[in-house]
Amino acid sequence: MSEMTRRSFLSTAWKVGFGLLAAAGVVTTFDLLKPHLAAGFDAIVRTVAPDAVPTTGVLEVRDARGYLVKVDDDVLAFSEVCTHLGCRVPYVDENGRFECPCHGSKFTREGDYIEGPAPRGMDEYATEVVDGVIEIDTTEVIAGPAPGSERT
Amino acid sequence: MLDPDPRIIGDKRLLGVVPGKPPIGDRKQPAEEDTVMVWPNLLVRHAVAALVVIVIVVLIAMFFDAPLREIANPTITPNPEKAPWYFAALQELLALFHPLVAGVLVPGAIIMGLVALPYIDRNPSLDPRKRQIARTAFTVFMVLWIALTLIGFMFRGENWSWVWPWEEWHGEL
Amino acid sequence: MKTSERIRKSTIGSSFFRSPDRVTERDRAAGHWSNFLLHLYPVRVRKVEITFKYTAFLGVASVVLFGILTVTGIFLMFFYVPSPTYAYGDIQTIQNEVAFGQFLRNMHRWAAHLMVLAVAAHLARVFYRGAYKPPKEFNWVIGVVLLVLTLLLSFTGYLLPWDQLAYWAVTVGTAMAAYVPIVGDLVQELMLGGPTVGSATLLRFYVLHVAVLPVALVGVLTVHIWRWRKDSMLTMDSDQGATDA
Ligand code: FES
Repeated sequence: MSEMTRRSFLSTAWKVGFGLLAAAGVVTTFDLLKPHLAAGFDAIVRTVAPDAVPTTGVLEVRDARGYLVKVDDDVLAFSEVCTHLGCRVPYVDENGRFECPCHGSKFTREGDYIEGPAPRGMDEYATEVVDGVIEIDTTEVIAGPAPGSERT
Repeated sequence: MLDPDPRIIGDKRLLGVVPGKPPIGDRKQPAEEDTVMVWPNLLVRHAVAALVVIVIVVLIAMFFDAPLREIANPTITPNPEKAPWYFAALQELLALFHPLVAGVLVPGAIIMGLVALPYIDRNPSLDPRKRQIARTAFTVFMVLWIALTLIGFMFRGENWSWVWPWEEWHGEL
Repeated sequence: MKTSERIRKSTIGSSFFRSPDRVTERDRAAGHWSNFLLHLYPVRVRKVEITFKYTAFLGVASVVLFGILTVTGIFLMFFYVPSPTYAYGDIQTIQNEVAFGQFLRNMHRWAAHLMVLAVAAHLARVFYRGAYKPPKEFNWVIGVVLLVLTLLLSFTGYLLPWDQLAYWAVTVGTAMAAYVPIVGDLVQELMLGGPTVGSATLLRFYVLHVAVLPVALVGVLTVHIWRWRKDSMLTMDSDQGATDA
């Protein structure tokens, strides 16, 4: 390493100084703008008794922005947010499946991927029965199954 | 009186002699008669152009109202859902390809390609006949993009299915 | 002496104008150097530069449209609160109760669409006449930055009416960002300010739309025009070919 003169030290030092200042600015701005909200809409959403979930068709839960579906006695809670680009996916009664209006992704009633540009099946929320009522935990989204595979 | 200092030539002081080209480089400097004064020649044209643009905007604004749909509602997605027209081509691609391709790679490549264009195309000629490759490539891109924009804007209806604009109109401005 | 000349020659007038009335070419050249806005123009340009065929005046058109957008946008700001509770109602008020409100909103909307068109057409025109070639490469790059800024301005403005069109276009648009590898989710979160498009998003887009992006655009635009002025006298290779491109 060549010897550092006073001149080259100073000329490096002010550049480093400005570099650090810029970095601090970026970090501060980022921290300032980063949202500090919990994901999900309302954390835990209390819904209905498991018996009230239909075995055909779906039950929409507006507060959780999702659907409750009964598949072989199991209750599943789907997020109605399309896994493609976030449009609301309505359930179409006539053909018994979910169809997204935005770019035409389609999902089965069980939330599995059928066709369209979505990268995976419909996302899910964890559910729990508390005091005989289903509670949907919207704080965490469980990613849907990849195309071709079914959820277990 | 003779000046003893060799740097004074005539009445002028010589500041230095540098090797190489004149500051303008190899470029031809336009002859005086090939140029015109900006005031008034260019300014008056710009003023007229500005007037024309303002009149056009005023006329459109007088006869066509800006759209305002129902208030935003997170629980209903309109069907079809349309992006602004300048993103209609992207939306059309989004319906066909994985979002990483259509939403990130394609727009990224277009912007980077435009930025890099002057560094890729090093052909100095301005003669259209001598830059056919560049012109063809650019034209093909433009035609494709305009076609995709028109398809996404006018030819897509419910559930993003094909419609004829003269039968059902779904364009949104 | 003409009145204008007398004003220019008076103590206050000469301190303000600093240059004589534009009678001779020399006065006109002097006027360029003493006028802030004209300083963005060269004193002389090549003859082709003033023909319609060469530029179609698309650059000027873009600047004028931006001017219209600034003026109408400021008027609209007097009547608009960027919050989901008020935004939509404010737009209705502007349209139904504010004098000329509907007209101003129309002008803002259509000028925005036209500006995107004009900037894109300007880019195409510059390409076809080869004006991105050395030594103007970097001004083309600045132009691409201006196109991106224009699109961002238009897109951030699209959310502000808070209607269905706006809400879902922005939902889809911001969801696209999430697919960017590694930083995607972060970028989306920063844009939205929350898990979905909501009040934080509206405020963020508003600030970007009325402050950050316009200031950035004016800054970059100034450099763009200044570089055009610096290069406006260059005779590039086989210029004659370019005029019939
Ligand atoms: S958002 Fe559902 S298909 Fe694109």
